Amino acid sequence: MSESYGDERANIVAETSAVDQLAVIPATFGAIAFVVGWAIVFRWISVTDTLAGIEYATLLSIGHLLAAAVLCAVGIFSTTGIVDTEPDDSTGLFTALAFGAIAFIGVGLTASQTLGTGATVWFPTSLVAAVLVAGVVLGVPEDLGVTLPVAAFELVVGLVVLTDVIGPSWVWSPNGFSASFVGPIAIAAFAMVGSLLCVWAGTNASKGFGSRGRELGAYALISTYAVALLAILALLIIFVVQNGLNQVLKGAQLWPFKLPFVLNGYGLQYDVNGIFPAIVGTVWLVVGAVVFAVPLAVGAAVYLTEYADQGRFTRIVETATNGLWSTPSIVYGLFAFAFLLPRIQNDVTLLTGQLVLGFMLLPLVLITSREALQNVPDEYRDASAALGVTQWQTIRSVVLPAAIPGVLTGIILGIGRIAGETAPILLVLVREPFSASTPSVLGSFHFTATAPFITNDALLGPATALPYQLFAVITAGVGASQEFGWGTALVLLCVVMFFYAIGITTRIYFRKKLRQ
Amino acid sequence: MSGASTTQAVSRSVAELDWSARIAGLVGALSLLAAFAAFIVRPGAVVFPAAVFAAVALYGWFTYQAETARSLTFLATASTLVILGVITVYLFVQAVPIARRMGASLLTSSTWDVHANRYGLATMMWGTLITTIIATLVSAPLGVAGAVFISEIAPKSVREAVKPAIELLAGIPSIVYGFIGFVVLNSYMMDLFRLPTTGSLFIVGLVIGVMALPTVISVSEDALNAVPNAMKDGSVALGSTDWQTTKSVSIPAAISGISAAVILGVGRALGETMAATVILANVTTLPEPLYDVFGNTITLTSAIASQYGVAAGRPMQLSALFAAGVVLFIVVLALSIVSQTIERRMQQTLGGEQ
Repeated sequence: MSESYGDERANIVAETSAVDQLAVIPATFGAIAFVVGWAIVFRWISVTDTLAGIEYATLLSIGHLLAAAVLCAVGIFSTTGIVDTEPDDSTGLFTALAFGAIAFIGVGLTASQTLGTGATVWFPTSLVAAVLVAGVVLGVPEDLGVTLPVAAFELVVGLVVLTDVIGPSWVWSPNGFSASFVGPIAIAAFAMVGSLLCVWAGTNASKGFGSRGRELGAYALISTYAVALLAILALLIIFVVQNGLNQVLKGAQLWPFKLPFVLNGYGLQYDVNGIFPAIVGTVWLVVGAVVFAVPLAVGAAVYLTEYADQGRFTRIVETATNGLWSTPSIVYGLFAFAFLLPRIQNDVTLLTGQLVLGFMLLPLVLITSREALQNVPDEYRDASAALGVTQWQTIRSVVLPAAIPGVLTGIILGIGRIAGETAPILLVLVREPFSASTPSVLGSFHFTATAPFITNDALLGPATALPYQLFAVITAGVGASQEFGWGTALVLLCVVMFFYAIGITTRIYFRKKLRQ
Repeated sequence: MSGASTTQAVSRSVAELDWSARIAGLVGALSLLAAFAAFIVRPGAVVFPAAVFAAVALYGWFTYQAETARSLTFLATASTLVILGVITVYLFVQAVPIARRMGASLLTSSTWDVHANRYGLATMMWGTLITTIIATLVSAPLGVAGAVFISEIAPKSVREAVKPAIELLAGIPSIVYGFIGFVVLNSYMMDLFRLPTTGSLFIVGLVIGVMALPTVISVSEDALNAVPNAMKDGSVALGSTDWQTTKSVSIPAAISGISAAVILGVGRALGETMAATVILANVTTLPEPLYDVFGNTITLTSAIASQYGVAAGRPMQLSALFAAGVVLFIVVLALSIVSQTIERRMQQTLGGEQ
């Protein structure tokens, strides 16, 4: 809906005032300080590094002070009527409470840590300060209530950093916590909190306060956060790629094709140790889980959607399925350890791993298949029934084919999930995580004269898997093998992301098709 | 359907069948039961009844396909109940010895003493509680804000790119997060926050919170998206800004879906194993003082994952680990039921004529 109204409103509110020009300054400072704060946290820059001969700490504090001054001016211009704004009479309860909370924390920390007062002094003091701040913000018109508290915060923060009260060498070790807080982290935290406040107050003021100002302020705040979140999650992936790529490409060449890390085993005979056995192990785990779980899940989904009356029975099954879906993976592992392991060879086996992952896959596929079947329009079933086709024929030839894309999507996403799981197979799959040989499941079937008449040493023997191997790198103690771990992490990430990407793409494609 | 009508329906469908089908059905059902019983008691013998069942199913498929299909899908449905039942039974049975030995102090005692053979879960429960609280403080507000951004603020083109990207990020395996936490964050915290040991509840909570974030965003976004456009348009038509509409119409209307998403995130955080196991040093003592979130302790999940190996020769310790599993299982199941109830209520409120 927002798209259709946005343009027209922009036409109505076209005039600009001096306030928007001025308010851009704190908003811009906020955006810059936010990035600088993160850069300090990520240690890309240090607070003592210099830009144009001035330390970042000093630059930031000057920015804080500048923002404080400008916001103060904006508030005063607006309230004295020098510029035209449309503030509400009160600032609003939520904003007042937020500023009260900031005052509580600030005064509380100063009183208890800097002045060293006991709880009987600092608690009432900071409570009074909080109530005072909240009351004042609530009482004054919106233009003052938005700008002045932020300006006050910026002023205090700027002065504290500029006068070196909290400088790069400052350390605070609070009582009762193992951690110490050092100056650079405090400066970065000030920069981030201050910058968010500045972005909010600046954008709010630039629209002349009022409901439109609040809208822009909130949108700017949330958008800043969203961009930061996406950037951090993207950095996470880039970080893994950056660290793992060297290892994955070690000794690789295009012609004749060689990718030793991916295609070798782990042992003395290899010049580059690789993870091929783990990849094959993961593939077999997934294949086994799919063979076990998908028929059950799809069958159950068909029964629940097509045959069962919607009532208590279906609701119980639904609750059970959702319960299975949310059961922690380590609980599946424990269950397999207690139930499956003693019954299958009484030892770690590939088959047990496949079964336990199948148990996990079952609810994932069941829920998505059910959704897919429910999304098949009833007209299809009615039309088929009207032609005299029996219920089973209808399900087989009309309903199931129509639901196949949804079912497939569910299976693919489920595979992505279980392929990366470590906890369930932790207790039941592996004897030697760094293995030289790959399990050859297809070649190991043997017929015997006694029950169970058919055996498979590969299925009934231990295997290894990608996520387990990564875990083993960690427990074995890093150091020399850390590179190996990054490589494994990258390959695992690629495998899982591959399944997710296919699953999500097909889902988007078929949803679009359905809507046409 | 109620029990009586189920019986009626079954007897009606049985009455419609001829004799050979009835016998086949009976043989199939008995052989399946026998196979299940054999797997529990004597797994080696499971092949015989299983073969009989397969033969009956094949016979049924070629003679009475419709009935066979119906029975097989019913069996598949029943299997989900059976699986949940078997998981419950086996977890509880394994946890009985330690519950007998410790009584109520199993949940309140913080001793984890291998020599005295006494194990209490209080330390692990505290660790899980703290990490879950931190993770929820991270994932709930940020998750809802992210959902508001995607569904209400972002332009259409951005939304269509960001939503799948977020779903993709939900797939990053937890062991990868754990590896990053172990290699990078632990040394970062020791370096910059001067922690005395590697690993802290704070970092685990933070990592788990970030890990749960995409799920919370994605599910809350679905809830916000499910709010009928008519409601939003009505608000805008009355002169509200988009933000006022979001704040006063969309979020309140979707609040049950959003809370279901948050509960889902809490469940994820509770059950998260690998990140906690590899980041924490898994010491079985409570942090001193209790509220020291930078302290190093253990969670229910990491206790299981880090101790099952050493517990192999000590039945009581193993039983205590199963008790930890039971606690996790019950809490997560309860959360799942609560979130389903909330979601069902949302469907009733929003499911009216649009």
